[in-house]
Amino acid sequence: MTLNRQGRSFSRVRLSAFLFTIILGCEAKAVDFIKDIEPIFQAHCIDCHGPDEQESQFRLDRLAALISGGNSGEPAVVPGKPSESFLLKLILHEESGMEMPPDDSLSDSEIASIRAWIADGAKTPESYGPEKTDIELSHWSFQPVKRSHGSTIDRFIHDKLVAKGLTLSPTAERRVLVRRLYLVMLGIPPTPEQVEAFATDESDDAWQNLVERVLASPHYGERWATYWLDLVRFGETHGYEMNRERPTAWQYRDWVIESLNDDKPYDEFVRQQIAGDALGEDVATGFLVAGPVDQVKGSDPKLRQTQRMNELDDMINTTGTAFLGLTTGCARCHNHKFDPISQRDYYSMQAVFAGVQHGDRALPPKPGTAKRSASLDEEISGLTNRLKKFIIVDESKPRPAVNAKRNEEVFEEREARFIRFTIQKTTGGEGCLDELEIYSNGLNFALASSGSKAISSGDFVHPKHKLMHINDGRHGNDRSWIVESASGGWVQIELAELTVIDRIVWSRDRSGKYSDRLPIEYRIDSAMEADNWELLTSSADRQTFAGKTSASPKYQFEKFPSAEAQQGRDWQNRLQAALEEKQQLEKSTLVYAGTFVQPGPTHRLYRGEPDAKREQVAPNAIEVFTSLNLATDAPERDRRLALANWIASKDNPLTARVIVNRLWQFHFGTGIVDTPSDFGLNGSPPSHPELLDWLASELMDHDWSLKHIHRLILNSGTWRQSNRPNENAIRVDAASRLLWRFPPRRLEAEAIRDSILAVTDVLDLEAAGGPGFSPFEVELENVRHYHAKQTFGPADWRRMIYMTKVRQEREQVFGAFDCPDASMVVAKRSRSTTPLQALNLLNSRFVMQQADLFAKRLENESDTLSHQITRAWRLCFQRKPTDEELADSVSFIEQEGIQQFTRAMLNANEFVFIP
Amino acid sequence: MTPFLNRRHFLTQATSGLSSIALASLLDQQRLLADSTPIRPNIDPAKPFASRPPHHPAAAKNVLVIFCAGACSQLDTFDYKPELIKRHGQPMPGAESLVTFQGEQGMLTKSPWAFKPRGQSGKMISELVPQLGELADDMCFFHSLTGKTNTHGPGENFMSTGQTLDGFPSMGAWATWALGTENENLPAYVAIADPRGTPQSSVNNWGPGFLPAAFQGTEFSALKPLDNLDIPAGVSPETDRATRGFLERMNQRHLEHFPGDTELAARISSYQLAARMQLSVPEVTDLSSESKSTLREYGADDSQNILKAQFAKNCILARRLIENGVRFVQLFNGAYQTGGEGVSNWDGHKSLHEQYSKHGPVLDQPCAALLRDMKRRGLLKDTLVVWMTEFGRMPTFQKGASGRDHNPEGFTAWMMGAGVKAPFTYGATDEFGYKAIEDVSTVYDFHATILHLLGLNHERLTYYHNGFERRLTDVHGHVLNEVLH
Repeated sequence: MTLNRQGRSFSRVRLSAFLFTIILGCEAKAVDFIKDIEPIFQAHCIDCHGPDEQESQFRLDRLAALISGGNSGEPAVVPGKPSESFLLKLILHEESGMEMPPDDSLSDSEIASIRAWIADGAKTPESYGPEKTDIELSHWSFQPVKRSHGSTIDRFIHDKLVAKGLTLSPTAERRVLVRRLYLVMLGIPPTPEQVEAFATDESDDAWQNLVERVLASPHYGERWATYWLDLVRFGETHGYEMNRERPTAWQYRDWVIESLNDDKPYDEFVRQQIAGDALGEDVATGFLVAGPVDQVKGSDPKLRQTQRMNELDDMINTTGTAFLGLTTGCARCHNHKFDPISQRDYYSMQAVFAGVQHGDRALPPKPGTAKRSASLDEEISGLTNRLKKFIIVDESKPRPAVNAKRNEEVFEEREARFIRFTIQKTTGGEGCLDELEIYSNGLNFALASSGSKAISSGDFVHPKHKLMHINDGRHGNDRSWIVESASGGWVQIELAELTVIDRIVWSRDRSGKYSDRLPIEYRIDSAMEADNWELLTSSADRQTFAGKTSASPKYQFEKFPSAEAQQGRDWQNRLQAALEEKQQLEKSTLVYAGTFVQPGPTHRLYRGEPDAKREQVAPNAIEVFTSLNLATDAPERDRRLALANWIASKDNPLTARVIVNRLWQFHFGTGIVDTPSDFGLNGSPPSHPELLDWLASELMDHDWSLKHIHRLILNSGTWRQSNRPNENAIRVDAASRLLWRFPPRRLEAEAIRDSILAVTDVLDLEAAGGPGFSPFEVELENVRHYHAKQTFGPADWRRMIYMTKVRQEREQVFGAFDCPDASMVVAKRSRSTTPLQALNLLNSRFVMQQADLFAKRLENESDTLSHQITRAWRLCFQRKPTDEELADSVSFIEQEGIQQFTRAMLNANEFVFIP
Repeated sequence: MTPFLNRRHFLTQATSGLSSIALASLLDQQRLLADSTPIRPNIDPAKPFASRPPHHPAAAKNVLVIFCAGACSQLDTFDYKPELIKRHGQPMPGAESLVTFQGEQGMLTKSPWAFKPRGQSGKMISELVPQLGELADDMCFFHSLTGKTNTHGPGENFMSTGQTLDGFPSMGAWATWALGTENENLPAYVAIADPRGTPQSSVNNWGPGFLPAAFQGTEFSALKPLDNLDIPAGVSPETDRATRGFLERMNQRHLEHFPGDTELAARISSYQLAARMQLSVPEVTDLSSESKSTLREYGADDSQNILKAQFAKNCILARRLIENGVRFVQLFNGAYQTGGEGVSNWDGHKSLHEQYSKHGPVLDQPCAALLRDMKRRGLLKDTLVVWMTEFGRMPTFQKGASGRDHNPEGFTAWMMGAGVKAPFTYGATDEFGYKAIEDVSTVYDFHATILHLLGLNHERLTYYHNGFERRLTDVHGHVLNEVLH
């Protein structure tokens, strides 16, 4: 059989690819593109994939496009390799849902021609252009930052306003300015004394000095960290169904606050979050794993892989949006729809993060920690010994209570073949054992490898928990057995032969991570022949299990002479302190900052599906911007460091622009680019492009100092202008986007709560840093449940930034004020007004308690009603009441009491708005 | 598949007869129809819940979702498989090396409950839910749904938000963002959690995601009042009214300096709305005006089965909310995992017979009474009822256990009421009820259909967030036209 050039004699029967290859091998030169191929494209394809339209970002009239393919990320044509060419798959209708042409088929001869043309090297005439074209990066944010010299913020703003026939508003009153400054920069209102000091400061640089004081305040970092933590979806629980705690994650929050307060250069701030482990800032990589992670891992391998892909996607997406303002996550399943980010780029970035795992990491010990720890150990052991004589011994229960890590049962030697461990009661749920060891002369004969057999009354069905784990010699929750019923049951070991035994050791989790499901009442029986049980030992002579504290014995000093008793008490106090310090030392070494392993190969995944692996990719960033020049097997840390260095480089056109825009948004409510995490082609263009570039240059020229940018903005006339509306300007620019006034806006949840606590005088500003306080009572089930707290005290009156961030669950009162739940990155909070917000602020126990405290404060600080009212006005609004306001307040308080007055004050519009 | 002509296909036909004028106008029309530009609701900040027009005439005004948390088994309720009964105790062909959520498979296992033909249609429904079964003629079954996850949290997320990940807006948030509500004195969107607690994906099921917080579902039930609704203890209604009056005067004086500022004005109206809600929410949750016979019909007076009585009260509340114009109501049956698997929800891994014997009666009578009651009162004319669960379960029992593992490959949901055919069955699973094989449909399709019934185009109801025009249906989904009236 032969083919003529047109393939006319080709039968309509499709031949196997194998046969084709052979045939085409002989006939390779037979196809002519212009004569044979182009007409097919013209007739069937070019309408949708040509010069006019490029559906799925694909066109057939350019060689480079043919080779790179459309947004599937698959190369359409691989010269010389028809079987790898996606185009062929589509015209052969091998891709469901993507059959091409969509409504009919090419004839077999047409398909054969295309196949032959590809096999022949897919040659096209010169008019089809080169194989590869540089992508033109003409989009404004991809261009280098251009500095316009000798300008100021006000000049840029003024020029735009003038073009619309608008002007800046006059400077705001001093009392307004100082309120605005404190609320915007610190998130708490100024005290009346601070207001008076500024209002009466007649020096020329009164404002500049105030700005400097505010920038130096430690509350600045606490305020701005809220915004950063939203942006990096920081949470202190894992999210999803189990939503368990991350008790060591708070250190990242403190790191952010400190970095901001120290005005850490932004490039360092960025680098450390991606690769802090390489830069001596370990806590900073909390950024990488700040997002949610599903702890419920099924057995189904494909779905497990998908879960892992989701974890990595969260890192890729957060890094892209937070630092670069690029929606890198959009290229997971296909090439980015708008930006020059290919699917290959996406997986190259995945290779950068592929070795990052969620979890706690031990920090390198601080200098001196190890030494201190050793000396504490010595002290603890000495004190424990000395205190022994004071221990109360319950004669009936001489043995210590059970614990999850290791329990020993020593008894007189006896012969046994069967040993049965019966669980009678647990700390909750079905009982769990990770290992049961039966010793004879120091050797464990229970092991399956010694020929012993395990049976049970019934097993809890779960992939992690299996009967075989009871005597497999391996420890930990993942190698444990759980009994079927919560009401009890047994596990039994049959030894290979009758053996003389003298000791049994058992545990819930030898590694010490889990302590739930612990058997606390149990018995162990032995038998020489089946069912002839004899009690060996039981929990009856153990002290009662009382949770974690049971480890510390009870002392009794009264029986001893007073001097000796006093000595004992001192020792006990000292021991307690030493134990606590030791615990603190051990705890502080762990932080939820991820762990790192050397990853295997990373592949591009067709349609983002884990089982559709394509070519292997090396770790890299976005090809059109840079190459990180890393080998496919580059060391894990080098990958992140290389990416970090590229992002935090002055040559990166995005990084500086993106952060100064965020600062601008923080001040004015809306950024110069109002899609703050999307600087790509689908984002909005900047309202003031020159200003944005000018600020970006200022940042880079001043050692990436964020406070420098704040200072520039705060000292501008634009920032200091009045917020009052003006009819004409509202008609032209209702949203105040051009900044003809300072745009007023409602405070965020955190600032409302902090402001309330500040004016009632209970805000604990000293309790800065450290583990947070929770707004919830946590029900410690396997799956955590969070119930809103009902009573509040000083421990709850810290700044809200220190409130434990529980994913999904919004805090009961302030959560309704658009407080994100850390499931997603949030670059700009929505600002909604709802009746539930009103109900929460009016009726919640939290606010009612504050209203009472506020009333007491007023009564304590001022004698007369009118003084109390004026004081309240100064505390809440930074001004005196007008005569009308005073009169209304007096008559209201006389009718309804001062608590109702303070309740109303905390609900007032003026109180929750930035003026 | 697509109801609209493909452009080139159309041109081929057009050249064979139509005049050029007709062609041009058809092209215009086609462009209109195929338009996928976003339709943004026009929301007045002072009245975020005001009723807004749909994209196209709507079959349904309101939605009531009944969600059985824990993954209610299709094989023990609505998906009748004679072959499964016949092959009971045998291995499932091809399942030798199949690993599902918890591990390996045991034998094919028929339902412990017998199936019986129901109604005129003769639809086979199990004895686990006999009263619901009697409503078969009013139901539109979907037997071929397929999901993307076999884990509860992501599964509930998927059904309620269209994404397996946390943090996306729930269906009710999308609906109320687009449409507002018919009764501004009540929350637009109410989530009624099971008496035993919130579902497994907790508030994600009614979360606002990245939509404004205003469109979050408000959680309360017949047992658990709306947080912070009541006037604080020790404050009389008169005092409370006076305080709100004082506050409003203060806010009005402040507003005088900011004429035309919508955000400040909106905050004033939100306090007025809150005050109206304080009257209307207790009214709607107060079941004392319900007749004894109603209570009895729902099982709300059942002193033997307290849980059933509690759920029944939630069912009555659901009806009252719909009756009062609440746009979107979610009623949960089953809570988070507590006390072991399948104890507090439909997660029957280990002892399905024992556990479902408890869950069936709790669901059946109250839920059936709710549907009958809604029908009698004419509420089904405007209301779409949707019954769903996170995914299905396996036709096999798990190796070494007496229950079924998770199965997202083919599962059942049903609809009833406004706009859907009944009795009707769409799609089918294979002979054992394991995989969807006929009219295989996705959760996206299911969601697209619900939005369509509400008069919303699922491709145009979008919200820009972090570079994406986000949709309830992501980039997928087709309206299942076959089920529409």
